[in-house]
Amino acid sequence: MNKLVHNELLKLFRKKRLFVIILIIAALVPLFTYAQYQEVKTTREKLGNVDWRTQLQQEIVDTQNRLSSSRMQDDWRKYLKIRLAQQQYYLDHNINPQAPGAPTFMRVFVENSIDLLLPLLVMVVAADLVSSEASGGTIKLLLTRPVKRWRILLSKYLALILSVSFIVTASAVLSYAISGVVFGYGGWGMPLLTGFSTSGEELVTNTVHLIPQWQYILMEFGLVWFVCLVVGTLTFMLSVLLRSTAAVMGIMLAALIAGAILSNMVSSWESAKYLFMVNLSLTDYISGMATPIEGMSLGFSLIVLLVWAIGGLVVSFAVFTKKDVY
Amino acid sequence: MRKKGLSLVTALSILSALVWLAGLAWVLQDQFFADNINRQAETLKPDTAQQQKEDSSGKTLQIAAIGDSLTRGTGDPDGKGYIGYLKEDLAKKTKKRIELTNSAIKGQTSVQLLKQIQQPQIKRQIKNADVILLTIGGNDLFRGGQALEELESKTINKTEDVYLSNLKAIYKKIRMLNKNGIIYHVGLYNPFSDMQDSKTTSSIVRKWNYDSANAAAAQPNIIYVPTFDLFELNVNDYLYSDHFHPNKQGYQLIGERTASLIHFREEDQK
Repeated sequence: MNKLVHNELLKLFRKKRLFVIILIIAALVPLFTYAQYQEVKTTREKLGNVDWRTQLQQEIVDTQNRLSSSRMQDDWRKYLKIRLAQQQYYLDHNINPQAPGAPTFMRVFVENSIDLLLPLLVMVVAADLVSSEASGGTIKLLLTRPVKRWRILLSKYLALILSVSFIVTASAVLSYAISGVVFGYGGWGMPLLTGFSTSGEELVTNTVHLIPQWQYILMEFGLVWFVCLVVGTLTFMLSVLLRSTAAVMGIMLAALIAGAILSNMVSSWESAKYLFMVNLSLTDYISGMATPIEGMSLGFSLIVLLVWAIGGLVVSFAVFTKKDVY
Repeated sequence: MRKKGLSLVTALSILSALVWLAGLAWVLQDQFFADNINRQAETLKPDTAQQQKEDSSGKTLQIAAIGDSLTRGTGDPDGKGYIGYLKEDLAKKTKKRIELTNSAIKGQTSVQLLKQIQQPQIKRQIKNADVILLTIGGNDLFRGGQALEELESKTINKTEDVYLSNLKAIYKKIRMLNKNGIIYHVGLYNPFSDMQDSKTTSSIVRKWNYDSANAAAAQPNIIYVPTFDLFELNVNDYLYSDHFHPNKQGYQLIGERTASLIHFREEDQK
């Protein structure tokens, strides 16, 4: 089994896929770093005051003023109220949510890339794991070996898990190393709040507690890893089902982008919450953002994603062991 | 070389898989099975040392503005409000750096303001301020009191009693936080002075102003700034299209009047 996995990794390595992904991340992170830096700079200039407490207080007052406007949609009002309670909590406990530093950048980066960027990168690796063998014809050579089919597929899947882990680690390391040049490398111990949950309009704060930022980041990357695995597994399933890598990529791409669009407009279509792509933003539960659909929670999303992944695995193994290869 | 690279990547991948799995497990533990909830929430009390007066040097003039839509600047197309014009006027008079925090909220009544100034950050702003600007009462009188619809003196008197006791509490609270800063309470005007019943509404507003000024006089360093006279004639020229908030010209009048009351010692002047 080890040898089989090694063999699969060798193929991935030869195709230079992981290398390309690292290059993509290394090219994007400076871009985001610069954007973040500009944002920090302009807010400072605008207020003419570097004290974040004043800034946060100003934000709270602005939010309160927006809330008092009567022409506002209900879900937006709800979101603002949650945001308000959270900001107030930060202020009351003297916690700066925007403290610049490489770990903070990592956190923001990972929160924003969990639903699209990282799944896309994973897709690049997973899309042609099986389908390229089918379209290239090498699958016949592979299957003529005296190894059971499910073992071959399992070795491919294990290779996928390993590369997903590698991609997540690479994005963590790169975002830390590159953004630290601008923001400095400190800030791991900064306390952050988690455990926000919403029931209706109320922000439930009785489970809120503080954790240091390093733990927060570790938790978020754990979730990112899980999301990437799920997306990888589904791509893997499509890769087994379809011979064409382009078709696999196209379908996954459409699904992921549809998820990003749907999250913004499904608030009244409740059964959409069973789709895997609207459940990808797991980190939002940690940071206490409003959920796209009422009734979604971290546990719910984890279970939905898990069910999709297990389904994907079952289908891929069932199809791969049975299907005729010609 | 290539082989080495591959085994390195493999080892790294296995390691990171374990790390991220641990992270995921931690999420589950933290979010679902946390019996240690609230353990740390108490340990991290606000850092009181940091909340001390930070800039008490003579180089800056700190202004804290609290209150309702007048302080917010509703109706001014530039969004400055009277404090914006006041700041511009002051900048001409002094070389000090003016630091302004505007925490006013549209539609705020005296009850809500009393609650707002209990918040630690607002407290901090008030504590650090050299000048405190305040507008309040308009929403108590014109909306909650429904002064226009029921001009019955009984209801109005009741509303006023509530307002006055809140106002006294607000003054007291601010004085407790900041012993030396000067409070400028910008008074009420009658936006309905050109309508029917203007005699009744004007007399109500005058009474509120009189009583507020009395309450202000009971505490040291509270200046009650009248605005009633500014809007008495030509009220329509100074009101925004909602016929309630001042427009740009109206705010300029209030700003000029308030700015003229803020005095600088000789060495601070330009």
